Amino acid sequence: MGAREWPQVAGMRPGAQERDDAALLRAVARGDDDALAALYDRHAGWLTVRLSRRCAMPDMVDHAVQDTFLAVWREAGSYRGDADVAAFIWGIGVRRLIDAIRRDQVSRRLPWRAAQPEAVLSAEDQVLVGIEHGRLGQALAGLSPELRGAIEATVLDGLTCAEAGILLGVPEGTVKSRCHRARVALRAALAGDQSGPEPPAHRRQAWGTS
Amino acid sequence: MTSPLPAAGEHAGEDLLASYAAGTVEPVVVWSVEAHLTRCAACRGALSGHVDQRRLARNRGVLLVRVAIGDGGRVHRLLRRCGVPDHLLRLLAATPSLRGSWLLSVIGVLAVVAGEAAAFRHGRMPGAGPAIGYQDPAVLAPFLLVAPLLVLAVVAVAFLPMFDPASRLAVAAPFSGVTLLLVRTVCALAAALVPVVVAAFVVPGPGWLPAALLLPSLALSAFTLAAATLVDPRAAAVMAGGLWAAPALLLATSNAPLLIVQHHAQVACAAVLCASAVVLLIRRDRLEMGWKR
Amino acid sequence: MEAMKTTNVRTAVVRADGLSRRYGAVRALDGVDLTLGRGITGLLGPNGAGKTTLLSILATVGEPDAGQVSAFGLDPRNAAERVEIRRRLGYLPQELGYHRHFTAAAFLDYVAILKEITDRRRRAQEVARVLAATGLEDRARTRIRALSGGMRQRLGIAQALLGEPELLILDEPTAGLDPEQRLRFRELLSGLPGEPVIVLSTHQADDIAAICPRVVVLLRGQVHFTGTPAELAATADGRVWAAGERDPRAHLSWRGGDNRWRHIGEASPAGAELVAPTVEDGYLLLSHAADAR
Repeated sequence: MGAREWPQVAGMRPGAQERDDAALLRAVARGDDDALAALYDRHAGWLTVRLSRRCAMPDMVDHAVQDTFLAVWREAGSYRGDADVAAFIWGIGVRRLIDAIRRDQVSRRLPWRAAQPEAVLSAEDQVLVGIEHGRLGQALAGLSPELRGAIEATVLDGLTCAEAGILLGVPEGTVKSRCHRARVALRAALAGDQSGPEPPAHRRQAWGTS
Repeated sequence: MTSPLPAAGEHAGEDLLASYAAGTVEPVVVWSVEAHLTRCAACRGALSGHVDQRRLARNRGVLLVRVAIGDGGRVHRLLRRCGVPDHLLRLLAATPSLRGSWLLSVIGVLAVVAGEAAAFRHGRMPGAGPAIGYQDPAVLAPFLLVAPLLVLAVVAVAFLPMFDPASRLAVAAPFSGVTLLLVRTVCALAAALVPVVVAAFVVPGPGWLPAALLLPSLALSAFTLAAATLVDPRAAAVMAGGLWAAPALLLATSNAPLLIVQHHAQVACAAVLCASAVVLLIRRDRLEMGWKR
Repeated sequence: MEAMKTTNVRTAVVRADGLSRRYGAVRALDGVDLTLGRGITGLLGPNGAGKTTLLSILATVGEPDAGQVSAFGLDPRNAAERVEIRRRLGYLPQELGYHRHFTAAAFLDYVAILKEITDRRRRAQEVARVLAATGLEDRARTRIRALSGGMRQRLGIAQALLGEPELLILDEPTAGLDPEQRLRFRELLSGLPGEPVIVLSTHQADDIAAICPRVVVLLRGQVHFTGTPAELAATADGRVWAAGERDPRAHLSWRGGDNRWRHIGEASPAGAELVAPTVEDGYLLLSHAADAR
């Protein structure tokens, strides 16, 4: 089957926006609250969703989103332009969520809601998954939820083991051991294929982009 | 079985985004979507359409309000870390006499008076005595008159309803009028005493002068508050001012101005302070601004 | 002029009996009896009729010389019950003064603290809520001195709404609002959660007709009418007529937009062209009768 064209999202193409994110952030550092509102309008949506996948309590997510942009307001000057603005915001956002969880003494957080498998992946979505992970994806799917959670927090979200512990509601040591076991399991699963014991370099690269 | 890397411009479909937003997508797909979102502004924008818009608007409003209110600056942050409740700090921010301009004028007047006294000492003003160690107490008379009156003025502005533009709102609100009053008055007192004490160091007076000004200032302020529970607050402030100005002027004309801050006067001030405190304690529910009878 | 019997069968939440208040020789209130239930009641009367005095007494900001008030079964003469009334109160005084250097959000934050909302985040949420309700979300960071008169009025309404009060007392809330803003105000009042007791004063009859299902007419410190706007208009039945010329028998005459004269008088002359009376007609007749006494 040939590569299918994805439908373009109507009207929005990267680079076509008035001011790019870095320019907005510079404006925020100068005290422009309209720029902050513009940043919010652009980023609050995906941030809310992504945080909701880590925390099942909507109030806590709301507080984290508010605190995130407040922190952006205060710390816009510290943005060096090295990372993508979205990544910068995510880095603040996930740590604000952790703060919120820490403040809420009883950490009743659930690892993300169990996936309802009734959502059938379209052919396009399967290709998307295949592009990103392929065999690695299947190996990951084969991990238990606890191990997957540990890998997600440390690798995808970029948290330290201590921070991941707060997010998952387990001690730091448990996170470390789960990460270790996950990597062992992944290597074992991938070792069963021709590509060798280590995931190929460009696959690791795909991980690193977040 | 490896598929080619995506061509530039490929995006996630609307259904996928909708499912991701709703949380009905498998974890591994979640990761691939999130990894894509970090790189693709267009899909991030598309995803926003699947979030509850009212929720987004609500959080936006709260964010902009918090930005508008601010966190009060370094001083507030420091005090908060020391355990002072945030709402008390914000009440103080609304106190008229703590406003920079007011304080600046206080400092200005004090500077003039202290400067005048210091100029006397250094012989730059006519009628000054020899510029040697011992200071002529007559030089201090204006400073001794003005300094506690200034403290009184700052405190009066802090609690008199006429200086609070929204005083009727403060009256009609459940927040304890007594607490509000005391918080403002105590802080105005502290804020006014600092420039006064500093000026007392500058002025060519005896070394104990700064400390000696404390009791009279406290006593005058306490007297005003106590009297305000009995008579009109403005009248109380004027009375207190007169109670200080009269003896100060009298002593200045009889060339012994320092007496007003010396031993007997200090005892008298302490007595006034205690008596006022007692009156305030008894009649504290009359302290609600506006509820006079 | 006898008062109309009220047809309101809602339970009275606020009661005033025999309220009297004088300022020197002027009798601001003279034996006012009033009951207020859930929903909107309009207080109609000219300037100087005692509306502000009455509202300030209901808002626990003023004390009557005679008579008593009861709100939610609580007596404002008792200090603890007074505070409890204030917890459920939202008050917009006439000519509210503002801390002009404050931003809109900071001012609302201050009032929210006075209403005992101590948690910072909850305060921001409340402030954002009332700003959105009065259409001032974009003005959160604007200083009050930079706001137009209409916006300041809306800000005054916003502060009264903080804390979702059960008793809302608004003194001339529509002053300075243009017709579109009055419409928004009307929508705002109708959409308040919890069906609070709302009393608003105005000297414009068309506000009453548009907003209030109940109206009380206050003239020279006395209640002259209690009932619905329709009943008020009906008091002028048969007493309003139109003609091509000015009629000297009428109490009041003016030329309308259609270039015909409109007359209001004690009784229309025989054969006159009667016109359906409006709320304003009823009010003007009452007012004239009260003046004639």
